[in-house]
Amino acid sequence: MTGGTAAAVEVRDLGMVYPGGIRALESVSFEVKEGEFLAVLGLSGSGKSTLLRCINRLLDPTEGTVHIFGEEVTALRGSALRRLRCRIAMIFQQFNLVKRQTVLTNVLSGALGRSRLLPSLMVSFPQAERERAVAALERVGLPGRADSRADALSGGQQQRVAVARALMQEPQLILADEPVASLDPALRHSVMRHIESLNREEGLTVLCSLHDIDLVTRYATRLIALRDGQLVWQGSPSNFDQKTFKEIYGQDAEPASNSGY
Amino acid sequence: MPNRRPIRGTEVKKNTEFGAPSPLALFVDRVQAVVVDAFLLAFGGLMVELLVLAFSGRRGATGLLLTAEKILDLLHYGWMAAVAVVLALIWNAAHVPLGTSPGRAMVFGLTEEEKDLPWSQTTVGWFVAILIQLTFFTGWLITELDLMDFLTKFSKAADILRGLMHPQASILHQGSVLLVQTIFLAFMATAFAIPVAFVLSFPSARNLTRGTFIARTAYIVARTLMNFVRAVEPLVWALIFISWVGIGPFAGVLALWVHSVAALTKLYSEQIESIDNGPMDAIMATGASTLQVLRYGVVPQVIPPFLSFTIYRWDINVRMSTIIGFVGGGGIGYILKPRVDLGEWGEVGTLVLLIAATVWVMDIVSAKIRERIV
Ligand SMILES: Nc1ncnc2c1ncn2[C@@H]1O[C@H](COP(=O)(O)OP(=O)(O)OP(=O)(O)O)[C@@H](O)[C@H]1O
Ligand SMILES: [Mg+2]
Repeated sequence: MTGGTAAAVEVRDLGMVYPGGIRALESVSFEVKEGEFLAVLGLSGSGKSTLLRCINRLLDPTEGTVHIFGEEVTALRGSALRRLRCRIAMIFQQFNLVKRQTVLTNVLSGALGRSRLLPSLMVSFPQAERERAVAALERVGLPGRADSRADALSGGQQQRVAVARALMQEPQLILADEPVASLDPALRHSVMRHIESLNREEGLTVLCSLHDIDLVTRYATRLIALRDGQLVWQGSPSNFDQKTFKEIYGQDAEPASNSGY
Repeated sequence: MPNRRPIRGTEVKKNTEFGAPSPLALFVDRVQAVVVDAFLLAFGGLMVELLVLAFSGRRGATGLLLTAEKILDLLHYGWMAAVAVVLALIWNAAHVPLGTSPGRAMVFGLTEEEKDLPWSQTTVGWFVAILIQLTFFTGWLITELDLMDFLTKFSKAADILRGLMHPQASILHQGSVLLVQTIFLAFMATAFAIPVAFVLSFPSARNLTRGTFIARTAYIVARTLMNFVRAVEPLVWALIFISWVGIGPFAGVLALWVHSVAALTKLYSEQIESIDNGPMDAIMATGASTLQVLRYGVVPQVIPPFLSFTIYRWDINVRMSTIIGFVGGGGIGYILKPRVDLGEWGEVGTLVLLIAATVWVMDIVSAKIRERIV
């Protein structure tokens, strides 16, 4: 692979069977180019979370391979795996902040992968990292909230702290698992815009599962759709029409909003 | 359009790849069912034999009616076991006309028809009901319950109660001093137990020990050890430590310490098992190492409940430390025991009041503090 056209993520024949015997993914293959904003669509239970978690190996896929910037992540273990995870930030539907810690500590935890072990266990970080964390908080529009406890913030604010934590990681790739699904619709863009700016301004590759068609057409540069663990569609948002919608969500489904797709 | 052949999706819970159990697994299941049935049948049979002997009017060599203890000696354990195994085999083989046996029901579940019936129309239902009745009657005999004794012989106990109602001040000073020792004894035991239990609780938590072979081994070792330690009563630990470090409060501290470590490890690890995995996943996803994941993803979630459990444990230890002295482990129990033996009920009354007051205060204090934390 050469230069700018290198695939940031290359998924080949990915399959996942959970220990209980439930098959969540079946031979899923696709590529994400560097700098793309890829939306992952699919009904609840179609395997979106499973797919994203297989990419940074929070889950071990049972079949197939994942390459990230040419490196096979499915073969990595131990410290090599941790080094790879440092380059991939993840944003979760439930924010997953450490609730009883301060906002600043939560942001700083994005730097754990490159921190020295003993000081980090005592929650002590170098001045440079602290400044970086404060800057990240400013960037997501939360200056001055550094010393609040994380659970004192509203949902939208918590998710922006999670974005700051991702920023702190200085990643090359962002995995976002329904980042705005548990937020008030009015607040969704406030979080999505920050993820978008990471994509547009820093050139980070983004993989983001979404189920709101409006958001997909507004932010994604390309999209893939899962159904029952299989990849059933991929293309650009402009090719996404009523017919495709029914293919993905079933004949009885109606788009949640009446604005265009 | 890509093909949309039907595949196993969300609704299909049991995947066919894992569908039919292997013949070996089936055999093991069947053996399990028979063993359970044989055990229950033998248990029931022995109880019937015990009741028959007890009410048959048979007399022992001394000419007195047989006591339950004597009858327990006379039962035909070997025979009953053998017959039970044969019956269990027959029952499992002929479970269709006879109705599902309890062992089968446990391993394989009830049949579709039996599931919908009330218990009184299934064989298992009747079997279990009769077994519970038998256990109750047998228990009555074996523990020598005697309502007449209970109702007619109160006068002796009344002496003691009268003594307790008239506490004597003579022992108040000595009692108070030892009470202070008791509370500190409990405090030291609890304090030393905290760090050990804290460290042990991580390998004892199932959700943290699934990953590697080493982790799974650590889990089994830690759990087994702690279960053993907890199974031995603090009084027995006190006896062990008295012969180790001599009579006195130090032995008491060690005894309560060992027991508290085991009890706190269990409470702590259960708390760890019930945490929200989300923060752990998030920290792991940043590329943090295992220790960092524990420090950031687990510890902040469990500290408040850990504190609460620890104070509760201190509360329990204060109670236990009052009796640990009975066997020589220091504290107020040390002077209580001889007074009970000598029948000095007035002084016993003083000491009991002191203990009750302490436990009562501890109870309130610990409840108040725990309210604040959680
Ligand atoms: N830990 C697990 N153990 C067993 N099965 C699981 C587990 N997690 C998910 N599954 C199953 O895998 C399938 C895919 O789940 P997944 O969470 O990836 O779907 P999703 O598309 O993210 O859905 P949602 O929109 O509800 O988050 C589902 O059938 C689900 O029941
Ligand atoms: Mg999901």
